[in-house]
Amino acid sequence: METPEKLFGASEMQLAIEKIADLIMAEFGKKADDKKEFVLVGLFKQGVPLAERIAEVLRKKYNYSPEMAKLDISMYRDDFGLRSALPIINETIIPFDMHEANVILVDDVLSTGRTIRAALDALTDYGRPDLIRLAVLVDRNNSEYPIKADYIGFDVECDEDYKIRVEFSENDDVDAISKVVWKR
Amino acid sequence: MSADIKWTKKDLLCLYDLSKEEIIHILDTAQEFKKVSERKVKKVPALRGKTVVNFFVEPSTRTRVSFELAEQRLSADIINMVADSSSLKKGESLLDTVKNIEALQADIIVMRHSCTGAQDFIAKHSKCGIVNAGDGAHSHPTQALLDMFTIREKFGRIEGLNVAIVGDILHSRVARSNMWGLTKLGAKVTLVGPATLVPEEFNELENVRVCHTLEEGLRDADVVNMLRIQHERQNASYFPSTGEYSKYYGLNEGNLKYLKKGAMVMHPGPINRDVEISSAIADGENSVILEQVTNGLAVRMAVLFLIAGAL
Repeated sequence: METPEKLFGASEMQLAIEKIADLIMAEFGKKADDKKEFVLVGLFKQGVPLAERIAEVLRKKYNYSPEMAKLDISMYRDDFGLRSALPIINETIIPFDMHEANVILVDDVLSTGRTIRAALDALTDYGRPDLIRLAVLVDRNNSEYPIKADYIGFDVECDEDYKIRVEFSENDDVDAISKVVWKR
Repeated sequence: MSADIKWTKKDLLCLYDLSKEEIIHILDTAQEFKKVSERKVKKVPALRGKTVVNFFVEPSTRTRVSFELAEQRLSADIINMVADSSSLKKGESLLDTVKNIEALQADIIVMRHSCTGAQDFIAKHSKCGIVNAGDGAHSHPTQALLDMFTIREKFGRIEGLNVAIVGDILHSRVARSNMWGLTKLGAKVTLVGPATLVPEEFNELENVRVCHTLEEGLRDADVVNMLRIQHERQNASYFPSTGEYSKYYGLNEGNLKYLKKGAMVMHPGPINRDVEISSAIADGENSVILEQVTNGLAVRMAVLFLIAGAL
């Protein structure tokens, strides 16, 4: 089996996460007087630790603690029955009213856009947000749907036979982004 | 949440066939589906484009309604077939009926039948996923799963609990399914009822015991599951009269003292008030009868979701 090609390590990931936090605050934080509140919604699995990392930067650098949510989109996928293994349904936790919220969806990789399509359906079943933005650590630039990320850590061009694997020490042993052969 | 388990079964026939891990996986999955019914939008698109046929050769209202609503909340297309109006009446064989359902590109058949093993037979001959909604006195897996879900929700575990099942064990698929499922998850089961309705052979099963008095059966029970006395059995000399049955095996204020404080009272419904359970207890603080109904919906959504994913 081909060994994974490491693209980025922990320090580069940290810088990218800070960049995402800066981009978010550039949009939401500029009106100092009536600062627009926003919430972070991490998508399982790797969007959840990423959202936590972004929140940590927001707290330390901008003294802003956004409300946090976790969203599982297994019930909304369009490849149900096409995948060899059924995903485990993780616990969705949305501790606030989604109605009229400014939502920043957070996921590790934007690829075909199908996960985000499902996430939009799922989110809107919980309420009617005022606005939804998308933050991703890696944009592969191969979206099959008209879906684009608003805050991007890395732009990576990647052959379709490969997938981008993002690891966080919270779920995995290390912080790393690598390119691995995609066994479909 | 459960460990990474791969659900591969296209049918749910009997809890006897499932591993402990698979049962826990269904219960964990159901926990998330329960929340769907608590939202403003009580629907997810998980089974969009899938067709589910509810094929009830033996009549049922509550189980069918629960399955039907579960299917609707998963966005499946639904067809309801009952024996009275099906071609079984016109002499078609069960297998031919199922083959016709299959020819309509149905994906899942939820089936109830009065003959033990009918669903097992169909599952072997059909590409469709088969969900057993009750076969004879053999198995009613989703009822046992919803009972276990309700127990786990209250106690946080099933392992180590004592569960008493009281009533007509002989004819009860609910009792059998509960027995398989509960013992797999580490509970101890006590079967209580008159000797005519509780086969002694169940004593030979691990972690199952048989007893014939409510006093003995309720002692140490964390959960007591009261089965319905089926009217069709009442004249079949299993017991002298309903009144006498009720006196010795009905749960009422008189024998409530045998029950541990905080014990949970369950009933698969429909209840015969003041026969197997008194109104005060059925409506009392120990009763979870209506929670069982709510949880049944979540468990059935989870089962359909997992089966559809394995097709």
